[in-house]
Amino acid sequence: MAEKQVRKIIHLDMDAFYASVEQRDNPELRGRPVAVGGSHRGVVAAASYEARKFGVRSAMPSVTARRKCPELVFVKPRFEIYREISRQIRAIFAEYTPLIEPLSLDEAYLDVTVNLKNIASATRIAQELRERIFAETQLTASAGISYNKFLAKLASDHNKPNGQYVITPAMGPAFVEDLPVGKFHGIGPVTAAKMNRLGIFTGADLRQQTPAFLQQHFGKAGPWYHAISRGIDERPVVPDRPRKSVGSETTFAEDLVQSSDIEAGVKAMLDDVWAWCEKTGTTGRTVTLKVKYADFRIITRSHTSPAPILLKPAAERICLDLVRAILPTEKPIRLLGVSLSNLSQTAAIPPGQLALNLA
Amino acid sequence: MKLTIERAALLKALTHVQSVVERRNTIPILANVMLTAQKGSLGLAATDMDLAIVEQVDATAAKTGATTAPAHTLYEIVRKLPDGTQVQLEAGTDSVLTLRAGRSRFTLQCLPVSDFPQMSEGDLPHRFQIGAADLKAIIDRTRFAISTEETRYYLNGIYLHAARSNEVEVLRGVATDGHRLARVELPLPPGAAEMPGVIVPRKAVGELRKLIEEADSAVDVELSETRIRFALGGVTLTSKLIDGTFPDYERVIPAGNDKMMEVRCAEFSAAVDRVATISTEKSRAIKLTLGKNTLTLSATSPDAGSATEEIEVGYDGAPIEIGFNSRYLLDITQQITGADARFMMADAGSPTVVRDAADESALYVLMPMRV
Repeated sequence: MAEKQVRKIIHLDMDAFYASVEQRDNPELRGRPVAVGGSHRGVVAAASYEARKFGVRSAMPSVTARRKCPELVFVKPRFEIYREISRQIRAIFAEYTPLIEPLSLDEAYLDVTVNLKNIASATRIAQELRERIFAETQLTASAGISYNKFLAKLASDHNKPNGQYVITPAMGPAFVEDLPVGKFHGIGPVTAAKMNRLGIFTGADLRQQTPAFLQQHFGKAGPWYHAISRGIDERPVVPDRPRKSVGSETTFAEDLVQSSDIEAGVKAMLDDVWAWCEKTGTTGRTVTLKVKYADFRIITRSHTSPAPILLKPAAERICLDLVRAILPTEKPIRLLGVSLSNLSQTAAIPPGQLALNLA
Repeated sequence: MKLTIERAALLKALTHVQSVVERRNTIPILANVMLTAQKGSLGLAATDMDLAIVEQVDATAAKTGATTAPAHTLYEIVRKLPDGTQVQLEAGTDSVLTLRAGRSRFTLQCLPVSDFPQMSEGDLPHRFQIGAADLKAIIDRTRFAISTEETRYYLNGIYLHAARSNEVEVLRGVATDGHRLARVELPLPPGAAEMPGVIVPRKAVGELRKLIEEADSAVDVELSETRIRFALGGVTLTSKLIDGTFPDYERVIPAGNDKMMEVRCAEFSAAVDRVATISTEKSRAIKLTLGKNTLTLSATSPDAGSATEEIEVGYDGAPIEIGFNSRYLLDITQQITGADARFMMADAGSPTVVRDAADESALYVLMPMRV
């Protein structure tokens, strides 16, 4: 097996999501403490930053919230709208990686170790994601960037709202050291109190405990506490549904007219897709070409091969056949995209399989 | 044209013909079957430009003539007609084919016969006959190894050629995907000695195999450097040959492998299948560990766990560990009809030869996996 690469994980969290959406859509709410949720019975689903200053928190009973902040404006939740925005945001994420693990409508983990834009810096990706989200939804988000999910989530809280923070592998253990145990993922108030009784208050205290001690007091969670106190978290980013396709597309700075430029553009998109396929051992049967003309009309052309496409020249030939069918172009082209679907892993040549020495 | 034909006879011919016609066609005429009414018979023809099929069936023609109609639609209609129905086909000058059967009546849009592509016949100078069972044996024992890799197009078929094996003239079929290779040989049929080595494409192999299933007589084979034709039971299948050079496969068949294992094929296959349950879907790797007269099959997967099984084998060589793709192993053992299989191994990084212990006609070469 190849040596394990350091992962690049982003935890992206929308800032006071429901409340921000309500303030966006209703100018009268801007600058005022807002709680989304029922005003009499029930709990606060989300609180605006103005409300948080008064100590209003999500999951707080509405009655308590009103006591803390008498001017609090209650707004009925509009989940349809939130879901729609969530879809918009995920579509942005999907342009960067198919490895998206949504935690709720307003937060998700992204594994960008290998990404569709071939951007090496996860910090830059996080920056771009937040800018794109703001441009498309007028909502702000915070991001945490690190080498595992646990630290990425901690990092996203660090410069909230509308900020981001990186925890590098070198910083990881130290970052955890000063952290109160109650802030650790998977350590709730009850466990935190129990730890405090045992003299464990910070990550540094936790790290000093032997695995046997942690096992004895915390059972099967013991090994997990042992690992996270060292900044270790091997949990993969698990996409919520099986990936159906992988693609890359670009809107060009200037519309393309020349056939040679268009073919080069298609090849560049395939390069991105194929690089991702090779790194992840994925292959597919269907190649789809997407073309958006200057008048915004979109066409797609696809070809399904009888067997999974194993080699790049074969994929390239299919792409070129597809694009040449529309060349010379009738109108300038503003966007080109290539995607691969009917994906499979098994059909790829398994790693370790040796080849016959055919001439 | 106007003719009457029994539904079963028409369906059988259309089944063959529609299978050659590609489901999605950019050239409309290629979706059509050409129907030619002659005295006492109906001719059906279809092509995808690489492969052409022509079939003659008995029919009663009231008026000779020809037309072309959508093959899949016609096939679907005839398939859904009740058994025993008499089908009447009629086409005039209005580019419509009318089909009448019982109380059903269909009209189909036709395309002119003049548009139908004629596969250039050329001369097919080499001719021989081969038994249907022999041809079936060649296909069945090699086709699993045909490559689907489009870039190595010259591996996308069965390489058929005349050769000498232990001073005996043989006809050989060979297929490989670069990881395993299958070679089957039969006594050379008279007339085949001068034939060039040809690569018969996968689609032609598949269609031929279906036709053999129904035939039990001999198959007439005619070929040139560029085309091959098989005639059997009133059907003629003509295919372009793959224009490429089949690699010098002999060099990958090792002669000096000295570690010989004999296994009871059914027992071995069942054990491989069981142990492979654990190996990952992606790799399908299993490990064979050989000691004196025992074989241990094992597999481990970081997610699923591990499996081992020990079986009794005939083995007297030095201990060896060697990994294989379990699916490739099973592909080969499935072709072995005798009770025992013989494995000739060298080491974990070199090709292994597998044979039916009771039948020298087939030979399989399999590259190991690193496990």
